[in-house]
Amino acid sequence: MGIYTVARDDFRNARRSSIVLGVIGVFAALMALIFLAEMDIYDDPYRTLFDALFFVSLVLPLLLAPLCYLSIAGDRISGTITYVMGLPNRRWEYFAGKFLSRFAVAAAAIALSTAVGFAIAAVTFANVPSIRRFLIFGGVSLLYALAFSSLFVAISAGAPSRSRAMFGAIGAYFVLIVFWFGFFPFIRLSVLLDTIADLPWVTLSETTRAYIEAVSPGTAYLQGTKPVFSGVMGEYEAFERSFRTSDELHTEFWFNALVLLAWSAVSLTVGYLSFRRSELG
Amino acid sequence: MPALRTKDLTKRFGDVTAVQDLNLTVEDGEVFGFLGPNGAGKSTTINVILGFLDPTEGTATVLGHDVAHESYRIRQRIGLLPEAFDVYENLTGREHVVSAIETKGARDDPDAIIDRVGLDPEDARRAAGGYSKGMQQRLALGIALVGDPDLLILDEPSSGLDPKGIKLLRRIVREEVERGATVFFSSHILGQVEKVCDRVGIMADGEMVAVDTIDNLREEIGAGAVVEATVDEVPDLDPIRSMDEVREVSAADDVVRISCSAPEAKMPALRRLDDAGTVRDIDVEDTSLESLFEQYTNGGATETTGTGADASGTTGSTDDTATATAGGGD
Repeated sequence: MGIYTVARDDFRNARRSSIVLGVIGVFAALMALIFLAEMDIYDDPYRTLFDALFFVSLVLPLLLAPLCYLSIAGDRISGTITYVMGLPNRRWEYFAGKFLSRFAVAAAAIALSTAVGFAIAAVTFANVPSIRRFLIFGGVSLLYALAFSSLFVAISAGAPSRSRAMFGAIGAYFVLIVFWFGFFPFIRLSVLLDTIADLPWVTLSETTRAYIEAVSPGTAYLQGTKPVFSGVMGEYEAFERSFRTSDELHTEFWFNALVLLAWSAVSLTVGYLSFRRSELG
Repeated sequence: MPALRTKDLTKRFGDVTAVQDLNLTVEDGEVFGFLGPNGAGKSTTINVILGFLDPTEGTATVLGHDVAHESYRIRQRIGLLPEAFDVYENLTGREHVVSAIETKGARDDPDAIIDRVGLDPEDARRAAGGYSKGMQQRLALGIALVGDPDLLILDEPSSGLDPKGIKLLRRIVREEVERGATVFFSSHILGQVEKVCDRVGIMADGEMVAVDTIDNLREEIGAGAVVEATVDEVPDLDPIRSMDEVREVSAADDVVRISCSAPEAKMPALRRLDDAGTVRDIDVEDTSLESLFEQYTNGGATETTGTGADASGTTGSTDDTATATAGGGD
């Protein structure tokens, strides 16, 4: 009974908070904006899904961070955890309940925004949108949300204060998205790998580099959405530029899905172990 | 089997020792007052009992279960009113009670519990984030009562409660004991526990400095009561001084101050004063319990024999609390 009650109470508490509804609403509204902006540019809704991918890969973690970073740390700061853990709840039940509740909010944001995108595409685009492509897009995005909400809840479980939880979440975003994708000229993964490769006793093959670049949830998400464009890969130049095609495993869908699942599993395990040992109150 | 037992329980945070070698036994079915000023180690002890903190040394058992390894089973059988806690701000009070009932697998009627702790049914259906401290305490008490617990742990339960709420709290404590529960009542105000507790333990600086019934503690420390009488003319005070339980008599202008070693000595002394001259007004300082508490927690009373001097020294400084205690009694 514990895990369900914890998750339901946390979800209900979040649902009634205007901030959380705002997060879901803003995400869906931005997705709507992308489709509305491109309805006269492209005939194919899947081309806009491609642009939506980049939006999700950058913005979804930014929305999940404030949603999750205080999920457990906030309860410890305010003392709500004393109410929950004063009742017969085991620590894993509390941890799992909190995670499920926050992930449910993330899932709601993805479901709503995918549905909104589909509806707009159906009404305004020249070609009819494919339900299958939108479902795959929503499904892989859910895996992405799973990886990041696990990571942020785990950071929250291990953080004894608000500031540490915040720095942890921002740090994770910076390293896994900004640094890995390489948004800045010098502070980026490729520069780091070049530096390492230049060391006299190190050899770094192109394949190894490709695997290192593939293990961030951000890159795994982008590569993992390849099935959305199955059969139309040659239609747009942007597709061919972005999706790697080789015999290497890291270009396979299942490899990228496993990377996302592994981020979730490892985060939740480490987060729980840290929370199980931690002293409350 | 005692409801709660600690053996050489010690809890340290780095270099700071919060609780030192605590040996405490709370018998089944009693109301135990756990007293001490803020920072004495009360909440740390309770957090160890709940399994929130691990003991550094020593052991503690609750209802026969070890706190370090069987916390879940313990929490199935206790009811907790925590000191520092917060509600889910967007859930109603009633939803909190319903969740507690679900989690404990109990069959209570949430509305009956809400009614019992005096929470207005309309308030119970509002978001608990907007509750006053008193309403939140009533809600926490209701949550603690869910599932007829064998042991109630009440940490500063009267904070934020008005006199009516405090009276209700005492009544509920008595009802719970009659049902067969044990009550562990933590407070920093002696006046809150003396009316309901069978025994009290006094904590100071992480150590238990005294455990006994309030009457025995009072007797041991020689604390009594002080009465001030306004008289027309100050008579010869020697006959009063010679009375058995009168410790000290002094006069300033038209006020005679009689310090007794036992509260029941006040009236005979007053009668004798009234026989010798006319008493126009009296003022009673029943400060004995507060001064007793202060002496223990200031660390002066345990070994010293000169407690009488300490008692008169602290009497004057506790006037306010003494008056509040006397006024709040029922």
